[in-house]
Amino acid sequence: MAKPRVAIFDFTGCEGCELSQLNFEDQLLDILAQVDIVEWREAMDDKADEYDIAFVEGALSTPDCIKRIHDIRRRTKVLVALGACAVDGGVNAIKNLHPIEEVRATVYGQDQYLFPTLPALPLSAVVKVDYNVRGCPMTQAEFLRVFTSLVMGKQFEEPDLAVCVECKLNENECVYERGMICLGPVTRAGCNSHCTNFGQYCIGCRGLVSEPNLKGMNEVLTSHGLAVDEAWKRLQLYNAYRLQGVRA
Amino acid sequence: MAQYFLEQARVADFVAHLLASNTVYAPHRKGSRSYAFAKADDPAAVVLDYPRTLSSVKKFFLPPREVLLNFDLTLDAASVPPVEPGNAVFLGVHSYDLAAVRRLDFNFTTGNPERNYLARRDGARFIGVSYVPDKFHFAGSVGIDPYDMTGCDMFLTKHADGWIVDIPTGEGSELAAGFKLEAHDEPKPPRAHFTQHVFVPQARLGKVMEASYDHPVWNETADACLGCGTCNLVCPTCYCFNVQENVDIACTSGQRERSWDGCMLRGFTEVAGGEFFREKVAARQRHRVYRKFKYISDVTGQPWCVGCGRCTASCTAKISIVEIVNRLIRDSERDESILT
Repeated sequence: MAKPRVAIFDFTGCEGCELSQLNFEDQLLDILAQVDIVEWREAMDDKADEYDIAFVEGALSTPDCIKRIHDIRRRTKVLVALGACAVDGGVNAIKNLHPIEEVRATVYGQDQYLFPTLPALPLSAVVKVDYNVRGCPMTQAEFLRVFTSLVMGKQFEEPDLAVCVECKLNENECVYERGMICLGPVTRAGCNSHCTNFGQYCIGCRGLVSEPNLKGMNEVLTSHGLAVDEAWKRLQLYNAYRLQGVRA
Repeated sequence: MAQYFLEQARVADFVAHLLASNTVYAPHRKGSRSYAFAKADDPAAVVLDYPRTLSSVKKFFLPPREVLLNFDLTLDAASVPPVEPGNAVFLGVHSYDLAAVRRLDFNFTTGNPERNYLARRDGARFIGVSYVPDKFHFAGSVGIDPYDMTGCDMFLTKHADGWIVDIPTGEGSELAAGFKLEAHDEPKPPRAHFTQHVFVPQARLGKVMEASYDHPVWNETADACLGCGTCNLVCPTCYCFNVQENVDIACTSGQRERSWDGCMLRGFTEVAGGEFFREKVAARQRHRVYRKFKYISDVTGQPWCVGCGRCTASCTAKISIVEIVNRLIRDSERDESILT
């Protein structure tokens, strides 16, 4: 069986997810042995006409992005969104909370007419996405699960449960017991509750679960004497696209 | 039965005595204000006076995650990893957690015996401790007394200056052998009382539940519930699990892993074809409560809730199982009085 041809692309983002791929270090050679990487701007010069799997990082935020993602979708059999920006729009979508012309003027000043810009979109708003690797940067363990599933021709099951589940499996003391805001109850697990394992609170980088009870979340914050406004700002850090039109 | 006395100042010595010839699991401080069972190493770090641990001792018999199978795809071979035999001493167990272990014993020996659970459970010895019920405990309502020493090899009852020691079994005598305990013949101190109560005994709860299938409490609870599954995962009698297979990066070998799951989780109710058999949170809440007071209870005659209060104490939305059940009791009694 021929090795899958893999291409890696980036849109609006910090390239941290691609860097995470290069950071596999111990596993990188094993990964490379499974596939042929045919295009990857961050790491090599070659280009290819078509691919079996495209890993795509970043949000779509310019007319050119829209053209390019359509082109990638045409050339690839499987498209995987890599990281919070590609999956949910990520931090880029915070700009969507302001009028687009105001954002453009603020960022580009007198040269704004040289830089057409759009509200930030996740890949799935424009093309069909087959699988997600969530997180900011992407959760490496989840990348490996998606990667091995694809190589083996297996369906990848995206986790749809709250970070609370992994916190309980790891027997962490609840962050709310320590009087801090935690987005774990409405955030997708799959990170093995990485931040809370180390005494931090969850900042929601893996996006919301499929059916978050946001009204219930407000009640939880209020009953714990925590600031709902502050919590909503934190929720918007990674979920501004998904929460457009939703209010605390 | 003879009684002995263990001064608080000698508790660490007693732990050290147990550690000399046993693996000991006991409550330790965890985080800023919580407790968790952990392998005892430093006798001074063991805490016997605590309200409840985050997880129960269940985690030692049914671990949160465990490998059921190792497989090799190139050789087309699989092997079952050996299960570490139990044989440990569990020190500082509350009566409700031991009652939960007896319920799990029933679940895991009825039908297909659960090999891994039973192997880990084998040889376990329990040293119980009494506790003072806090605002979440309601074990008394489900027939489990804080001083109940059923299943214990030793039992420590809280006293102002230490612990009154009962040794109901030969295994307990063996554990205590070589450690000097003073004889104690004074009566036990006054018993602590529960502040939380379920209003009726299990004998009537089955009927109450039957009459409550369409009660508005399920939808109302669902409005507050975040569906995070915490109530399932901290429950000492919940045993549902998920099984997943993962392969290594070379895609040549892998593991079948089992991990705790819960009926409150959306994914738990998903089946092949993308259907959800309990799609609404309200239906999942009802199922959770029925699993504790109706379904298994109809078969065994016992509540499958042990009144530890963990689900309520751990719920960020502060949903109280006692309040739900008592509301169902009140409303079903009112309905009955209208009928008669």
